[in-house]
Amino acid sequence: MTDAPAPATASASAMQRRVRQEEQVAELCAGVVRALSGERDLHFRGRRLHRGRVALPWFAPHLHPSPEIDDFASFRGVADGLALRLTASDAALHESLRPGDPVERMLFEMFEQFRAEAMVPDIMAGMRRNLRHRHEQWSLAFHHSGLTDTARGLLLYAVAQICRARVSGQQVVEETEDMLEATRFALAPLIGHQLAGLRRDRADQAAYAVHALSIARTVAAMLHEAGGESEAARDPHVDDKRSVFSLVADMDQEIIERFTTAESGRSAVLDDAGGAYRVFTAAYDREHDAAALARREVLAGHREKLDRRIAAQGVNIARLARELRALLADPTRDGWDGGQEEGLIDGRRLAQLVASPTERRLFRTERMEPAADCIVTFLIDCSGSMKEHAESVAMMADVFARALEQAGAASEVLGFTTGAWNGGRAQREWVRAGKPAHPGRLNERCHIVFKAAATPWRRARPAMAALLKADLFREGIDGEAVDWACARLRQRPEARKLLLVISDGSPMDSATHLANDAHYLDHHLRDVVARQEQRGDIEIAGVGVGLDLSPYYSRSHVLDLATSTGNTIFREVIDLMAGRHRR
Amino acid sequence: MLSVREVFGIDTELQVPAFSERDDHVPEVDAVYRFNPDVTLAILAGFMRDRRVMVQGLHGTGKSSHIEQVAARLNWPCVRLNLDGHISRLDLVGKDAVVLREGQQVTEFQEGIVPWSLQRPVALVFDEYDAGRPDVMFVIQRILERDGKFTLMDQNKVLRPHPFFRLFATANTVGLGNLNGLYHGAQRLNHAQIDRWNIVASLNYLPAGEEIAIVQARVPSLAGDAGRTLVASMVAVADLTRKGFAAGDLSTLMSPRTVITWAENVEIFKDPALAFRLSFVNKCDDAERPLVAEYFQRCFDQELKESHELSGPRE
Repeated sequence: MTDAPAPATASASAMQRRVRQEEQVAELCAGVVRALSGERDLHFRGRRLHRGRVALPWFAPHLHPSPEIDDFASFRGVADGLALRLTASDAALHESLRPGDPVERMLFEMFEQFRAEAMVPDIMAGMRRNLRHRHEQWSLAFHHSGLTDTARGLLLYAVAQICRARVSGQQVVEETEDMLEATRFALAPLIGHQLAGLRRDRADQAAYAVHALSIARTVAAMLHEAGGESEAARDPHVDDKRSVFSLVADMDQEIIERFTTAESGRSAVLDDAGGAYRVFTAAYDREHDAAALARREVLAGHREKLDRRIAAQGVNIARLARELRALLADPTRDGWDGGQEEGLIDGRRLAQLVASPTERRLFRTERMEPAADCIVTFLIDCSGSMKEHAESVAMMADVFARALEQAGAASEVLGFTTGAWNGGRAQREWVRAGKPAHPGRLNERCHIVFKAAATPWRRARPAMAALLKADLFREGIDGEAVDWACARLRQRPEARKLLLVISDGSPMDSATHLANDAHYLDHHLRDVVARQEQRGDIEIAGVGVGLDLSPYYSRSHVLDLATSTGNTIFREVIDLMAGRHRR
Repeated sequence: MLSVREVFGIDTELQVPAFSERDDHVPEVDAVYRFNPDVTLAILAGFMRDRRVMVQGLHGTGKSSHIEQVAARLNWPCVRLNLDGHISRLDLVGKDAVVLREGQQVTEFQEGIVPWSLQRPVALVFDEYDAGRPDVMFVIQRILERDGKFTLMDQNKVLRPHPFFRLFATANTVGLGNLNGLYHGAQRLNHAQIDRWNIVASLNYLPAGEEIAIVQARVPSLAGDAGRTLVASMVAVADLTRKGFAAGDLSTLMSPRTVITWAENVEIFKDPALAFRLSFVNKCDDAERPLVAEYFQRCFDQELKESHELSGPRE
């Protein structure tokens, strides 16, 4: 959250590490799912598997592990389960068979997932272990969270255990085996016949579904009967666990995001307005040149500090420029092709002519070197919580501006913040106007140009140091800033345009939130990014500082500014530019 | 006449002509070689009906060896020529050279590989056809046509091709250049050239069963049922790397050749994981190794040293 007081650096860097770790796991899992399923455009966004821009269905409760409690092997099992679900189950057929009743639907989804997981190829021993491991973890977590203490929970648990054991041919989880006896005994006459069918028809989705639907109907009826005592499950200290396996039947609702993933939701106000974003007043919006924001002596002091930081970072600018050139322009090793039969005489080969008069390949031709026809904009979130990262971010932007210049590409460094806290003059004007409902954005927007594309890096040096000016950092209105940066990019002649948004949180402006609703600004940001990505002339990527920005940007990456020195973070940003982090 | 079914193990009634004698240029027969039906039939059509056949495929799929092995079984002399970016017109056509004759220095035309083979019953194979410079490739434009005569300008001679002269080519790309970043140095070929190849056979990766059989044939110590399970797991890993490459997650992939190398290294080191690291993982980009380790874990139920599970988060 952007206006929260900055936590102690130690815990902040621990959190950054955790978020990065989470991202790495998600990337590995996505990679495995892509390879196993052979589908290219699968990736995780905000912990949910997406195909392209579309979120895939929930499938089953055990496919939603949480990094706080589940180990890596569990995530592996989930990835394998997802891949099998995509390859071994026909989604269209499944869709046509799904029952309408929510509880039945949840059970049916779960049974289909069991079937898909039973289809694991014999050769994949590791996959089988991962799936088994995930099942055990999930079962034990379900059991230990007290959900099996109620009749409903126990029934649901027993059905899941028995069906999976039957379909996969594996044992039920040992620890809870005795607990199941009574339920198993009660269920046997009701669903025994269908259970045998599950096993028999596990290779035939349509035939399997007949049995699965029948069991789902029987069990749903039993759950409704036992429904009277669901209050026990609403016990407050059970409640936090319930999010892990929501017994909620409606699996298509939005995930409840945790704080490490950018908070993002739909805004009722924006939805009602048909997505039309409003600005209450633009009278106080400003665009500043960073160099004018502070006295020259102050900037010089900041610049010295920044230069010391860059020196300490030990970054190899020449190499960075080479990598950027390789990425943004067609790389050429040298400007000459030797050994030609025509062209300019190559002096180094004249001796060859003397030694062997028939040698005719004595010429060289000049190879044209393509310039990097490209511009990269760094749009820096200058909201309050970014203050602690200011030096690292300034260092990154400064080094990149320099390296891009060496590589022959243009660069812009822009920032966005607000001119005041809590809405400033715009908010006071709104109060004077009698607080009309849903005023839209309510603050003095402030955009800062640290380095324009036309300014060479050497000339922009003092202005870049203004990033270290602590009183710049107030609140953040991301959506408008992205639009502004894109508009500036579109005025540039360069053929290829990249925009990197460096941010540590969702848009935050307290006055706007109070006057509209909590998701007004981030809903707008998502709309803006989706619209700009749709246009396709600008490649947009989000660089999260200790926060996963994947809900907003289809290309994003989490950086850990606290611990990396050397070239690591630069390499990661380059990978992001190259589209190698596809989350 | 040979029966294709007997010689190549392909289910067809075809009969192909073959030479009765072997000469120096006939390649050695590899007794355990496994023929891919489609590609073999395409190559046989080239031999029987004098068609120009190009075999295109990813690296390590056995493009050249397919042509060689067909020629070996037909006792057909076969000359392989690797085109590289520096091969020139003169190398192909021939050039004037100074030679000693009866103590005198005289200049005399020495014919290049194309006129030489054109006048003999030889199958000329251009390997790495797409590495040749497109402007040089026009030298062979004429002989790509059937009965295309070849004019030697320096000699004022016109060569008629021998009735049993055949021309083949192998390439990684179909003349569109280095599209996927795997084949640096692949040229964009002139389409009029590509157009003159009568048959373009595509040899990409084989069905798992085939590949397992090939690996087992190559590495005798892994033959039999015990070896089959191991090889099947290895092929499964290779398949995942190919899909990972197609999805853009990896910048390298395992060719059948890599799998064979791996199997040979298993023979040496007795440890599939170690052999895998030596034959493939160490060729991968550092950043991609954890993902390769994931693939390996799925198929072998073992952790590689590069695995995220063991190494923890990358800083």
